[in-house]
Amino acid sequence: MDIQEQLKKIQDEAASQISRIRDKSALEDARMRILGKKGELTMLLRSMGQVPPEERPKVGQMINAVREKVTAQLEALEQEVKKAETAKQLEKETIDITEPRPHVTAGSMHPISLVLDQILQVFTGMGFDVVEGPEVELDHFNFELMNIPKNHPARDAQDTFYINDNTVLRTHTSPVQARTMLSRKPPIRIVSPGRVFRADEVDATHSPVFHQIEGLVIDKDVTMADLKGTLDAFAKALYGEGVTTRFRPSFFPFTEPSAEVDLTCVNCHGKGCRVCKDTGWIEVLGAGMVNPKVLEMCGIDSKVYKGFAFGVGLERIAMLRYGITDMRLLYEGDIRFLEQFRED
Amino acid sequence: MKIPMQWIKEYADIPVTAAEYQDAMIMHGTALEDYEEQGKDVQNVVVGRILSVRPHENSDHMVVCQIDVGEEKPLQIVTGAPNVKKGDLVPVAKAGAVLPGGKVIKKGVLRGVESCGMCCSGPELGVPEYLYPSVGDKGLLVFHEDYAPGTDVRPILGIDQTVVNFEILANRPDCLSVWGIGRETAASLGTAFCKPEIAVQTVPGRMEDYVKIDVTDPELCPRYCARVVTNVRIAPSPMWLRKRLHAAGVRSINNVVDITNYVMLETGHPMHAFDLAKVKDHHVIVRRALEGETITTLDGKERALTTDMLMIADQTNATGIAGVMGGEESEITEETKDVMFEIAAFDRTNIRLTTRALGLRTEASGRFERGVNAATCREAADRACQLINLLNAGDVIEDVYDFYPCPKKAQAISASVERINRRTGVAVSGEEMKRILESLDMQAELDGDTLTVQAPAEREDIENEADISEEVLRMYGYDKIKPTQLRGETVPGKRNGHMKVSDKISRILVGKGAYEIRTFSFFGPKELEKLGLPVADRRNDAIRIRNPLGEDTSIMRTTLVPNMLETLALNQNRNNETALLYEIAPVFEKDGESELPHERPILCIGGFGKDVDFFCVRDIVLDILRQFGIEAGLKRSAEAYLHPGRAAALFAGDDVIAQIGEVHPAVAANFELNKKSVVAEVDLEKVYACRSDMQHIRPVWNFPPVKRDIALVMDERVMVGAIEDLIRREGGELLEKAEVFDIYRGAPMLPGMKSVAFSLTFRSMERTLADDDVNPLMKKILSACLSDFGAALRE
Repeated sequence: MDIQEQLKKIQDEAASQISRIRDKSALEDARMRILGKKGELTMLLRSMGQVPPEERPKVGQMINAVREKVTAQLEALEQEVKKAETAKQLEKETIDITEPRPHVTAGSMHPISLVLDQILQVFTGMGFDVVEGPEVELDHFNFELMNIPKNHPARDAQDTFYINDNTVLRTHTSPVQARTMLSRKPPIRIVSPGRVFRADEVDATHSPVFHQIEGLVIDKDVTMADLKGTLDAFAKALYGEGVTTRFRPSFFPFTEPSAEVDLTCVNCHGKGCRVCKDTGWIEVLGAGMVNPKVLEMCGIDSKVYKGFAFGVGLERIAMLRYGITDMRLLYEGDIRFLEQFRED
Repeated sequence: MKIPMQWIKEYADIPVTAAEYQDAMIMHGTALEDYEEQGKDVQNVVVGRILSVRPHENSDHMVVCQIDVGEEKPLQIVTGAPNVKKGDLVPVAKAGAVLPGGKVIKKGVLRGVESCGMCCSGPELGVPEYLYPSVGDKGLLVFHEDYAPGTDVRPILGIDQTVVNFEILANRPDCLSVWGIGRETAASLGTAFCKPEIAVQTVPGRMEDYVKIDVTDPELCPRYCARVVTNVRIAPSPMWLRKRLHAAGVRSINNVVDITNYVMLETGHPMHAFDLAKVKDHHVIVRRALEGETITTLDGKERALTTDMLMIADQTNATGIAGVMGGEESEITEETKDVMFEIAAFDRTNIRLTTRALGLRTEASGRFERGVNAATCREAADRACQLINLLNAGDVIEDVYDFYPCPKKAQAISASVERINRRTGVAVSGEEMKRILESLDMQAELDGDTLTVQAPAEREDIENEADISEEVLRMYGYDKIKPTQLRGETVPGKRNGHMKVSDKISRILVGKGAYEIRTFSFFGPKELEKLGLPVADRRNDAIRIRNPLGEDTSIMRTTLVPNMLETLALNQNRNNETALLYEIAPVFEKDGESELPHERPILCIGGFGKDVDFFCVRDIVLDILRQFGIEAGLKRSAEAYLHPGRAAALFAGDDVIAQIGEVHPAVAANFELNKKSVVAEVDLEKVYACRSDMQHIRPVWNFPPVKRDIALVMDERVMVGAIEDLIRREGGELLEKAEVFDIYRGAPMLPGMKSVAFSLTFRSMERTLADDDVNPLMKKILSACLSDFGAALRE
């Protein structure tokens, strides 16, 4: 067999061997057998002495060509084998992704805090500062400065807890407005959230402790239309674009004109349902233009400045938002109730 | 307040349905809860004439009647009523009729005899005896006038009214009357309001021939108006009057008493009728109560009076409390011959204080408290006399007593059209404003931009331009306000500092799996007692609510712990396995001479169940404090409600900033906690004061660390924290970290000993450390541990 035939044979055999190789050790064996120190090609190269000198360069080139080809084939095969082995390893490492493990689940803020946080985001975005005040409050701030003098029938509307003749548990967060007007110069834009108290027995819709947020804007040029614009923006931010407000005339001693403010029913979107008693509207806020008497009592010149104020019960907002029908659930702290909440 | 729509219609046209009326009134400012069609309760009940009565063959107490109900054939009806009489006219509920309570009448067979309806009694139709006097509940109602069989019984019985239930706003006492509502109705619907022409036919006579009146306190009684009716003819009122009173929820008594109630409802003026024969010496004195005076009120109670209370008296005794309750002696009876009507105005604050002090409230006092207008007393008195004429109930004498020393002057209010529009944000012309105000019975003059307005005397709520703006806006329509955006600089608003602290704490706690609760701000002395605090503890000195709902909600809380433990107990009670809860709220501390208590914000954490123990809560609190830059030190806590061996007080400097621990078993038993529970209170005021802003961030050091692990054997009583502190101190600047990685108790160590393994990391920010740098430090650490705590290196 001449050297060319031998070369051809080596090349063919290598190709067929390599095509059968599946693992690393067989690969190494093949490499040794063909390219190793005592491998077939190496041996063939050593037998170059028998080739006539004039043919040696040509034969040498031929052998090298075969060597390169086989080397390339082996390298390609090596990549493949490695890949297969990695795949095998990964397969072996597969875990049951549904297996439970001990861990800490995130808790949640109280539903009142969740809606309050949302509301504060809306109003701070509109330039309102958040101001808080004391829960045990002077009659002076809670009533007198809100144009509800002592022995005025308007006090009947708010069953008040008294500490003594001059001190009450605040019946609304309005005293914070009075305190702010007395301490800041206009323009003023504030919201004041907090706990408030009324002497109501606990039932599904009443609680002696509940939460409110009130807003106050004082500036030279503020109108009832601005109030409506502000509350519209608030309603949309909280309940979506489709929600608007409806103003109805009402009476509060601290505002004139005053309005009860309804929102498009969040349950039926105004079509009429059980929640809105088929009216398409739900009563949510009280609002109005600050009574000039209140401004004057709080040291603000009512000839120069005007303002609007509004108040919302947070329980009402939370109950509508989450479909809660019994207020008591909010205060008893059963973990099975609390676990259902998360931040929006 | 309930008023039948038909009564309102007498003075203001209502050309719309009741539902439309309701909408219009609400949108223009008169709250209206609902309305009720009386007739809906009674349907298909007609007048029937009993043609024949025969005994029932199978019953000894029932009879079988043939009744003409105006149809071709009489109806056969079986009844057990005791007063069935041939020829009588009775109400007959035909098959398909509806009776109050939703009862539907069907054809039926009673003991074998067919019955095609039911003959009704007054109570079965919801008609009280005073509304249509007949036999009451003693049998079938029998009509005493002649009606054609088949006539609808509702108008006859006075149950055909549409009763509207108004919710009158606190500033509108004028609307507690048919006339007030009529005025609003006309303005809201664009119709006209027409009060009746009031004219009284009188007989000659002088007041002093019948009664002498002295008003001694014009401050408490600014007006006292009286008229006398002689030759009184007491009789039942006519049906039109009875049914109006009934619809308004008032019982009809007799013509004179009914007139007082009717006039009160129509004009808003409480009236009182005296039987002059029973007024001692025919002398009525309006005066303050005397020192030590008492009065026995209609309910039989003797009441102590004070000199601040206004009395109606004779020369010797107080006979009634002005504006609150009249005297029994002078009540109208069948025998009454001469009547005096009293229509007065009393100071509303004084009436309010009197009713509060006596715990006595009446319809009259409720109206006087809210405000009864002095200016219209005479009109109401005359209206009552006009009704006396109309009902022919007596002869009104000509003379009138009218004490009104300081007549109220109508105040003209000047308002600017432009300013009103700039307040309301709508554009209403001056002419339109004038028209609106006139529709409300106000006089309005327009001169350029200036409106000069005079409200009717009843509208005492109209005081200034802001009030005028509301009148204009509500009649123009709140729904016409086009929303606009606030103008002016828009700087983002800020949350206040304390709120930022509590918001941040909330977020950390939520991340650690805690749920926020909100509990009441008050509890009872018993709940506080359950904590077993020492007597002298400040927290026992809680602020009391003067008028609490109950003893268990009577004091402002001085600690959040009781409510937290109650909430934990509730969860345990309901078999909830685990709970980790927190609340952020103020506690209330008496603050020296200050009128208001100090409100200290507190974080309370409580929990029980799997993975919730002292250490878990301790680490949560330490973590929170660290997030505010506070490294707290730990000492054993002496809080009475905590387990003495499993509780820590956390210190920031010398201040206790938090208390954490397992609930003391005795306290747990008090709160009925049956699982081991942990509770912590953190003083957020101190957190706020001690917090520090983030410092500059250190660079990250890249020189390699040297790590050394050591295990120290020590007495169980040595606190790991103390050793840690010591190691950190001795390790100095090069000691980057010292962490406990194992605590071991048991063989081969003696009982009462423990082995604590620390992993120490040394690193320099300037160079690579060599053993020679670290070895002397290790030596120093170990010898300090040994000398200070007897903690030896474990071999």
